[in-house]
Amino acid sequence: MNDTLLIIEDNEQNFYMMRFLLEKNGFKIIGAEDGRKGIEMALTCKPLAILLDIQLPEMDGYAVAAELKKHRELDGVPIIAVTSYAMMGDREQILAAGANGYIEKPIDPATFVSEIIQYLPKDWDNKEKQDEHAHRG
Amino acid sequence: MNWPIFLLKPFFLLLIFSCLGVLPASADNRVVTVGVYENAPKVFTSKSGQPEGIFMDIIADIAKKEGWKLRYVPGTWAEGLDRLAKGEIDLMPDMAFTVEREKMFSFHKVPVLSSWSQVYARKGSGIQSILDLSGKRIAVLKDSFQQEVFVRLTKSFKVNITLIPAPDFKTVFEMVAMGKTDAAITNRLYGEMHAKKIGLEGTAIIFDPRDFFFATTRGDPKHLLEAIDTHLAALKKDPQSVYYQSLRKWTSEDVKLNLPEWLPILAVIVGVILLTSLVGSVVLKYQVNLRTRELQQINQEMEQRIIRRTAELATAVEAAQAADRIKSAFLATMSHELRTPLNSIIGFTGIMLQGLAGPLNPEQRKQMAMVQNSSRHLLALINDVLDISKIEAGQLDIALTSFDLSASIEKMVRLVSPLADQKGIHLQVDIAPDVGMITTDQRRLEQVILNLLSNAVKFTEKGHVSVVCRAENDHYFLSFADTGIGMQPEEIIKIFQPFHQIDTGLARKHDGTGLGLSICKKIIDIMGGSIGVESQWGQGSTFTVHVPRQPKGLT
Repeated sequence: MNDTLLIIEDNEQNFYMMRFLLEKNGFKIIGAEDGRKGIEMALTCKPLAILLDIQLPEMDGYAVAAELKKHRELDGVPIIAVTSYAMMGDREQILAAGANGYIEKPIDPATFVSEIIQYLPKDWDNKEKQDEHAHRG
Repeated sequence: MNWPIFLLKPFFLLLIFSCLGVLPASADNRVVTVGVYENAPKVFTSKSGQPEGIFMDIIADIAKKEGWKLRYVPGTWAEGLDRLAKGEIDLMPDMAFTVEREKMFSFHKVPVLSSWSQVYARKGSGIQSILDLSGKRIAVLKDSFQQEVFVRLTKSFKVNITLIPAPDFKTVFEMVAMGKTDAAITNRLYGEMHAKKIGLEGTAIIFDPRDFFFATTRGDPKHLLEAIDTHLAALKKDPQSVYYQSLRKWTSEDVKLNLPEWLPILAVIVGVILLTSLVGSVVLKYQVNLRTRELQQINQEMEQRIIRRTAELATAVEAAQAADRIKSAFLATMSHELRTPLNSIIGFTGIMLQGLAGPLNPEQRKQMAMVQNSSRHLLALINDVLDISKIEAGQLDIALTSFDLSASIEKMVRLVSPLADQKGIHLQVDIAPDVGMITTDQRRLEQVILNLLSNAVKFTEKGHVSVVCRAENDHYFLSFADTGIGMQPEEIIKIFQPFHQIDTGLARKHDGTGLGLSICKKIIDIMGGSIGVESQWGQGSTFTVHVPRQPKGLT
């Protein structure tokens, strides 16, 4: 069963935080610190979902989302943008670029995992995870 | 004498045109009549009978650019309003927007200027606060918005006054000076200029900031408003424009420095030159020629200096614009750079407080909660400062969408209801059934609603907070009333200024950035609406918002 999430994030602390929270809830985490590596890993590992930072070096989150959407084999893999409220219109822009969801930083540890789960595919066999999440939450 | 016919023909045509006064039809439309009344320095008639003042300078400049021919119709304020309503004149200057007036007149969108109203009294009258006005007679301009607003203001303080309407501000002041009334209400620009001269002084009763516009007959039959907005926006961008020249001229002390001083001197010089040339003396003629040459030379030098200075100014403007762009880019980058580490502080603090990284003892829990509060406050400050900078740089973009206003209000109420429950405050919501769709920036309007709502809950210790929304013409009216600590009159005028949070000793109890209300006001201004407050110390405050259902340009 696929329970691997790909996190594309250049900030080490943010990556650590998301990995910590998601691993506690039984997900497997793979990470990439820039857009190119992220796309490569997405294509080789076919994760359950992709968490994508917007402010990335060189290739930014908008470009990464647009590129990921071009690959047929990634159809049905949700892209969840995780970024700070910073720029007006960010939300609209990243959703237009192809992201399926949007989570604002600062991350609220109390709700972060359930927000992610809400974006996962409907047929995702999540019984085990949800039980575990409910137990911890 | 035999004139060739081809020379005569145009001559006759010209003669006929000038005799009959036949003008091309389009020129008729371009005559714009403007009401003039006595409200210096905004609009007034000079000693020589010319219309003068800030609004007159600006409309003259716009007329020049648009090719309008201005005709001035003097009268009192009330006569002007009446003429405008009947369509006898095209424009009235210096009109505050009110919902009531919008039924009869149309307004443009970019305000010409903003001003407060103030109560004036005789020197040493002892009138300082609204409560001192109880039982007094107060002169006010007939049919002005102050008349309506002030009655509401005094009623909210349960103070009984008698308003005596007068046809113009001059009479308003004279009535006080002559002892016919106890106080007078005028706008502050007029008051600052005239009160001292007539022996009056400003009291601490300053109220209701308003934006002032040109108004046309309802529906803007001559399509003047759009042109006014376009030119006004351009004038406001250029610090050297007629707009700023006029403001400097009419609002600074050294008003008298301008024309009158050199005009008589020049007249004398011209007179002398004329006289000498009449005498026809060769010597004088020579001297005149010499002087003329000198003058020509000076003139040339001046021209060159002007060209040089203009070029310097253009460079300076460019540099300023570049600096502005750099500032915006800097702000955007800084805010991201500041938020990233802050987000990580907030996130990890949350993880520790939840016990996800292991149990905390009570003291550790208390201290981590303090870290979390402080960092959340810092984040709110950064967000607000960025908002303010964007608004002040004119970069706040309004993303228009149509959405259900009642759903938005309910959503924001849900966000504050946990805090209200916790404080034991009753949260009362009354949305009229005619409240439906609105077209504006949803996130920004919700930001304003949330801000006013959470302020109300924050500053109320017991009692209730009530939210009302209903439709009024092409506006929605919202009010947020609380039974909280309220405000002193002198605090009310500062409430929409940045970094203002009322310092009562209670202040430390209420966290917040002190920027929220000034952001709210600016957002609502940009949406073409208005925001106001009435408050009584110790009794509570009511914030009211008018917001157009459709952006004004699209209706």
